[in-house]
Amino acid sequence: MVEEVEVVETDVLVIGGGAAGANAAVKAADQGARVVLVVKGLLGKSGCSIFASHIPYHDISTEQKSRDRLAYAIRYYNHYLTDQEYCKRASVYMRTEFFVELERLGIYWRRDGDKLNATAARTPTLVAHKQGASGVLIMDKRRRQIFDRAIPVYEECAVTSLLQDNGRVVGATVLDLQRGRFFAVSAKAVVLAAGHSDYLSTRSTGTREQSADGVAMAIRAGAEVANLEIQWWHISDVLAPKSWMRYHIYPNPLMGTEETSRVYNSDGEMFFEQKTHNPGTSAPYIHQLRLLAQQVKAGKARWDGGYYSGFTHIPADTVLKYQHQAKIWGKLGLDVGKDLLECGITWHMRQGGINVSTERMESNLPGLFIAGGLGAHYLGGVGPSSYDGKVAGESAAALAAESSKPAMPRAMLDAEQRRVFGFLKADSAGVRPMAAKLRIRELMWELGYVKNEQKLNAALDGIVAVREQMVPKFGLQSASRAWNTGWMDALDACSMIDATEAMVRSALLRKESRGPFYREDYPYVDNENWLRKIILTRDGNEWKSRTEPYALPYLKPEKSREPFFEADF
Amino acid sequence: MSPSSKPTSSSGTIRVRIRRFDPTVDAVPRFEQFEVPAKPLMRIIDVLDCVHEDLQVDIGYRWLCTSKKCGTCAVKVNGTPKLACWDEALPDMTVEPIDNVPVVRDLVTSRAEYQDMLARVSPLLVRKRDYPGFPEPITETQFASTVHLRDCIQCLACQSACPVFAQKDSGFAGPAILVQLSDLAQDPRDDADRADLADRVAQVFKCVSCYECERVCPTEIPIVGEAIEPLKRIARRSGASSGARRARAFWEIARDEGMVNGAKVALRAGKSGLGALALGFRLWRRGKISFASVFGKGGSGSDAVRRAHQASEKRP
Repeated sequence: MVEEVEVVETDVLVIGGGAAGANAAVKAADQGARVVLVVKGLLGKSGCSIFASHIPYHDISTEQKSRDRLAYAIRYYNHYLTDQEYCKRASVYMRTEFFVELERLGIYWRRDGDKLNATAARTPTLVAHKQGASGVLIMDKRRRQIFDRAIPVYEECAVTSLLQDNGRVVGATVLDLQRGRFFAVSAKAVVLAAGHSDYLSTRSTGTREQSADGVAMAIRAGAEVANLEIQWWHISDVLAPKSWMRYHIYPNPLMGTEETSRVYNSDGEMFFEQKTHNPGTSAPYIHQLRLLAQQVKAGKARWDGGYYSGFTHIPADTVLKYQHQAKIWGKLGLDVGKDLLECGITWHMRQGGINVSTERMESNLPGLFIAGGLGAHYLGGVGPSSYDGKVAGESAAALAAESSKPAMPRAMLDAEQRRVFGFLKADSAGVRPMAAKLRIRELMWELGYVKNEQKLNAALDGIVAVREQMVPKFGLQSASRAWNTGWMDALDACSMIDATEAMVRSALLRKESRGPFYREDYPYVDNENWLRKIILTRDGNEWKSRTEPYALPYLKPEKSREPFFEADF
Repeated sequence: MSPSSKPTSSSGTIRVRIRRFDPTVDAVPRFEQFEVPAKPLMRIIDVLDCVHEDLQVDIGYRWLCTSKKCGTCAVKVNGTPKLACWDEALPDMTVEPIDNVPVVRDLVTSRAEYQDMLARVSPLLVRKRDYPGFPEPITETQFASTVHLRDCIQCLACQSACPVFAQKDSGFAGPAILVQLSDLAQDPRDDADRADLADRVAQVFKCVSCYECERVCPTEIPIVGEAIEPLKRIARRSGASSGARRARAFWEIARDEGMVNGAKVALRAGKSGLGALALGFRLWRRGKISFASVFGKGGSGSDAVRRAHQASEKRP
């Protein structure tokens, strides 16, 4: 079935409604470009930007502070797998533009009396309202800014593919999830800002709509993806109720104090608090993972429970005053000042993503710009993602200004329409697409934090089996076009399969351990051989790979090789 | 230091009836019943996820965070609006979409009307004075009166419960809009005419202070006391609507005489909104509000009235 498809014409198409996409839309519009914003969820409500807790306040006023700030970004957040020049530029942006722009828009950066309330850490952070709520308020302002500028926003509309004409990205196909309307956007430049925190494991902070569509559509279009194996896990996320796995018991300093949460094993022994176990880095997550791995090995914790976190060493009033999450205790009939909550590890941000040249946030595909956590250049976070949005939005607007109206690749459009509507068939005997999503999450959960070649190969086989054995048998409960959950799941499942396959392939190539990436068969941080970017592309069904070294103009690791469990980053 | 010894498990079965409605094919909604195994500390959203994931039924429902941030999972459970990710699952529950919004499918409702109204009354801070540079000289005290308003996640539970908003012809913007508007109106940096927006566009004086919005707010915002009453104070001073005139007359007579005579209020307010009176009567007749809620929470002596008004004068 091929129906006549409406084509929306614009200069710049922005895909994604988090910090990066929203700012890209604003900044491209400010350059005079016509902009269309397409968001799979709801602008400023979906994605991971609303989860932003406390924002690093990039103090670059002295040489020492500037160096501390860069070390935090390069060493502790990105494990040297980053563009150091970019880190420096993003730091300057954060200090000189990010907080300023949002305060002008009306964000109230929390004060204590008449002073900014910054955490006591070596790299201080600020909050809008409360720790754990900053992202909600920041994204609400962005949302209003975009509606105020009358930028057309297509919400609850999923981009299903990038459209290309002779290799150049010239738009995208879109499915309106509320009504089932399929349409195309024709654009002179495209900014892809689809985020980096996906629901790809049984336990994940990624949310329902986050199925790695950005990675998958970019791979299908021939974009280079890099370091997809560098995947973060949180250890201090709530175990039960299940949906509360997205509640994080922050291991970072609590506003107004020098304290952090503590984590205890099943014997009640404390094995983490930042000032004892990881002073000075402000990025305790990697270290927490290693400490938990040792507890699991000793039989004093499981990956899915048997250990506990909380703030029982801090007055309850302090936690309640400064933290959004503090109310969860009371809601469960517990006392934040007296009780601990059981935790489990949880799939979180991905450091890798689409390979980007950061001067203009360009991908290897002409016409395609990348912003935010989806890029492989930096871990993410609303600050740097906002910076990316600005650069990508302005670069896309500049390209659009010098480009003529692109041709619409009709054959590609028709083929994608057939693919998308191919799933829209009711079949009570068919495989529910949700079953494929659950299987992918289960495979990635089983692969987990401790990896080796055998486990990776098993995961790869499992992913391929989902693609070959489940997808062709998909059948939905209804063929309605109105908010058809099964139809959405079918499209999500295809993205999840393509993205996780690339992640596992990339993990098989990295023969070392680094940051959150642990291979027990290569338990060394190997800076001599693996301070490199692993780049993958897919051409049809064939994967190609290559590696590239990183430039290290500002910061180098001290050791060429060290045991993984002894490294501090 | 021992881990919590409080019970964290439950057993048995959760019986849930979900309202199904696909406006593209169904003439009327129907209820479908499911049973899912109860799990420890289960929230409403966990039950909906079980129906979708484990029973593999394609119910239409929405969530984007499960941590009380996005405000998109509000549903009506056994008649009361709840945030599905926040409130606990009940052993026997009927889940329906929230009221006073169009249904997209099953439990999914449209937020478009809310967004349009928000864009009209409360888009962004309006600065007419120069921004002094970061960090601007503002203090914690200046933002203390709105601290709870910043907990609002715009889940629309309050709009769903509001009996005035439910009247399609009321013109009332609803409590969620007023929370956002009040946050800006009380912001010392804001230079927009929020009084006029509150009075004419949001029609704040249509609020009958029945406290239904507060009763259902999952983030426990004192909506009437900290959002709506301050807005009414701001709008009363200059508002041109009949509601504002009546409020002004009420306030002036109370201040001058220490008691209120209804006839005098009506006289001074001019054509004082018989429509509003009719609306109040309609709501009362349907049992949506009580007269006690309309006329406040208890009487007081005339001196106390004067003191209260003096204090009120000093507020924003």
